[in-house]
Amino acid sequence: MNEFASGADHTAVLAHDGKPPLPARADAWSRPGPRRQARREFRPRRRIPGVLVAAVLVAAGIVGCIWAASAALGQPLWNIPHSDFAGPLQSTVHWDDTGTLAVASAVAFVGFLLIVIALVPGRPRAIPVASGDDSLVIGVPRRGLRRSLGWLAADVAGIDEAKVRMGRHSVTVRATTRLRDPAGLRESVQAVVEDRLARLDPLWPMRVKVRLRRKKG
Amino acid sequence: MLTRHTARVSRIGLLIIGLILLLGAGAVLARSLKASTTVLGNPHAALLTQGQVQYATKNSWVWPVVAAGSFVIAALALWWMAAQTRTRTVHRIPVEPDRLHGTTTLRADAATGALTDELKSHPGIRASDAVLHGSATTPGLRLGVTAENRADPGLVRAGVETEALPHLRGALELDKIPTVLRLQFSRAFDRHLT
Repeated sequence: MNEFASGADHTAVLAHDGKPPLPARADAWSRPGPRRQARREFRPRRRIPGVLVAAVLVAAGIVGCIWAASAALGQPLWNIPHSDFAGPLQSTVHWDDTGTLAVASAVAFVGFLLIVIALVPGRPRAIPVASGDDSLVIGVPRRGLRRSLGWLAADVAGIDEAKVRMGRHSVTVRATTRLRDPAGLRESVQAVVEDRLARLDPLWPMRVKVRLRRKKG
Repeated sequence: MLTRHTARVSRIGLLIIGLILLLGAGAVLARSLKASTTVLGNPHAALLTQGQVQYATKNSWVWPVVAAGSFVIAALALWWMAAQTRTRTVHRIPVEPDRLHGTTTLRADAATGALTDELKSHPGIRASDAVLHGSATTPGLRLGVTAENRADPGLVRAGVETEALPHLRGALELDKIPTVLRLQFSRAFDRHLT
């Protein structure tokens, strides 16, 4: 009886391939709260388009302010000849001209683009992984994870080169080998990558696909 | 979370500007395409009427108002830009806030330095950086950890969760520090070994 119990213990430890057991899983991915929190945290901030548009507005505001102030003082800095600007606008340029339509369409398109940038959530900058603490959000940057999995796959004996592509819910490994008989190699790469993902414990399940190619030489 | 405010600033501003551009250009397009002649006017008319061109020269208040309006736009845009680029780093943290006997403050970089030193001493962690941000009394933590690629990420995570962060919470006497951890991997060790 005692022997049986210790035997069961032993297999339980071996189930992790001799590695120490995982820290208690937080069950984070079964609850929507942490997932939503992580998604919000790693959603693109749109800071670059925001700062660009703000810079354009600041420049336009300053130029307009200087121009209008100098005009108010009776000494316009840039004396725009009447015939160049106001002249055509009140004689030759009409509302239904192609030029008017083109400019209005371009402005409308820019506006539409800004609305899309503001509203589309965008691809998360990092893959959120489980944490044991509600106040802790953990993310692995997409690029970092791609390189990390690529190194792991390339370290498998027999693999020459490995490239990883990340989808939303999938990881595709393209590995090349020079071995004549690559039997079982695909499975070992798959196991290595799946094991790493299992240890990272992403908040949504990631499928792993491995494509193995034989390189001559 | 504290960063949420700054997270939304860019998107809300872009949405407002986008709507203004789209509606303005939409009105021009509607007039050009004869959508509603009675409301918007005749599409064959010139862009400006004689009266509109003369208006600014006849009324002396037009240019000062335009100047003031441009100034307001520039100021608002500048504020928006500052709000988007602000990092809101916390430099000093009050510990034992006791009004009668004065307050003790702790330098934030001393606390984060102790945290990153502790993390770097972990065998699986190669580098770490940490910044406290938000308000001084309820700061949030932005933590970056670069783990050795062959290290077990579960152990690295456990080191952060069960040792480093509780120590920081203890040092700052806070029950909770909302933390965002960015986990990176590095392979320099591997190259060294092989």
